[in-house]
Amino acid sequence: MKTCFTTQRRHIRFGGPRNAGEDFVCMYCHNIVSVQAPPGSCHNRNHCPRCLSSRHLDLYAAGDRLSACKARMRSIGLTLKRTPRKYATLEQGELMIVHQCEGCGKVSINRIAADDDDEAILSVFEASRRLDSQANAHLIESGIFLLTTNELQLVYRRLYGREWLRQT
Amino acid sequence: MVRRIAVTGYAPRLETVCQPRDIPWLAFLCIETGSITLNALLNRTNPYSGIVIKKITNAYLVQSDAGNLTCTLSQRLKQQSTGDPVAIGDKVCWNEAAQIAVVLPRRNQLARRSAVPMPGAHAHEQVIVANVDQIVPVIAAASPRLAWRLLDRYLVSAESAEIPAVVCITKMDLVDSRPESEEIEAVAAEYRAIGYGVILTSMVSGQGMEEIQAVLRGRLSVFVGKSGVGKTSLLNAIEPGLRLRVQETSQATGKGRHTTTHMEMFPLQFGGAIIDTPGIREFGLWDVDQDDLALFFPEMRPFVGVCKFGRSCRHDEEPGCAIRRAVNAGLISPYRYQSYLKLRAQP
Repeated sequence: MKTCFTTQRRHIRFGGPRNAGEDFVCMYCHNIVSVQAPPGSCHNRNHCPRCLSSRHLDLYAAGDRLSACKARMRSIGLTLKRTPRKYATLEQGELMIVHQCEGCGKVSINRIAADDDDEAILSVFEASRRLDSQANAHLIESGIFLLTTNELQLVYRRLYGREWLRQT
Repeated sequence: MVRRIAVTGYAPRLETVCQPRDIPWLAFLCIETGSITLNALLNRTNPYSGIVIKKITNAYLVQSDAGNLTCTLSQRLKQQSTGDPVAIGDKVCWNEAAQIAVVLPRRNQLARRSAVPMPGAHAHEQVIVANVDQIVPVIAAASPRLAWRLLDRYLVSAESAEIPAVVCITKMDLVDSRPESEEIEAVAAEYRAIGYGVILTSMVSGQGMEEIQAVLRGRLSVFVGKSGVGKTSLLNAIEPGLRLRVQETSQATGKGRHTTTHMEMFPLQFGGAIIDTPGIREFGLWDVDQDDLALFFPEMRPFVGVCKFGRSCRHDEEPGCAIRRAVNAGLISPYRYQSYLKLRAQP
């Protein structure tokens, strides 16, 4: 039974405990993860660059650290950023990883960092094609459209660049 | 009773002598010597006894049947305690030199961990008030900004001291017809659902004044809160004759100016009394066991011991934690849960 403990404090809020900005060990692949973002990359470090796993820590908004679930968030596919830049088409949107919580099933999309393992990203893309239709429908309900085989060229272009694609 | 007196400043030798309190020869000795300590132990009516109603540096104003008297501390009490052994609301006995010699056993006390001058310095217990009927944590809707986590600290302290608490949110006029107002109402409803009374007040519009008067009537209450939240202004509004000194918050920092610098008890015309306290910048928990912390959150109490690891669960990252499950199910506020984690990490 749900009670009224669901008020999101937008204006009078305080966040949960932040990490101390120190390097940490991935809970799943035990990779030592540096919080220092590589040059030209996004500054947030919300998944392991090796296994791409994340944790369900945010509840209402990114970075609020209010979730009590804390379960593993598995990368289940790739998508493009939903809000493209003003003069860009949807296809020119940023490549994002889709994470799903193993505990409660919550879905979120996260930016790819410059030091994320390309092979792991491609394997996530491959695995997303085997996702069952029910899970796919759930994603579409959440407004997330996974990239399909048709967008393979797009994925390669985002990961390795247009020049690399032309050479190969 | 004898054990508690020993804690608050009795010589161990005296304690062992006086344990059988109804011994006739001891009563005789008490009458013959007029000893304050023996009188206190035997619960005899002592003309040199009263209640501490005001506390300033090294001096205490004690109210008794004969009138008010300014007392200092006896050397024995000073030597036997690291901090201040006397708090507002304490029943005390004094000697011929107007020195407080005995602090009688307390019904309850609100204490905090003393602020330390530098990191790593030794902190001790600082008793803010004793023998009160209820605690009124006062927080401002704005200026200084709302401090929910500090409120949770006060509520946990009140729970651990087994003193009822009523929350008072002041300066509601500053957020009138703004989105913060609706949000404060919603969060107040959450605290009410937990079991705490929440009163929204405004000294400008007079909102909530009747409500708070009804809550304070006939009870000894204490206002606690950050500097600048309006504790003294609230007291002035409740009891207009007092005309206590108040100031605006600093425009540069948005914080209070520490206008009230001493603790004092004020009787109310409609019955009861209020203890006004200076603004408290930090409120560290004292004598609260971290393993029992969840018990001081009333909404978490039903889930304590139900976890996979029973009473050993820290409710943080353990699998099968009932409290985390309840947070995910919406039975516990995620903000209160984060307050719990924060208090566990930094009591």
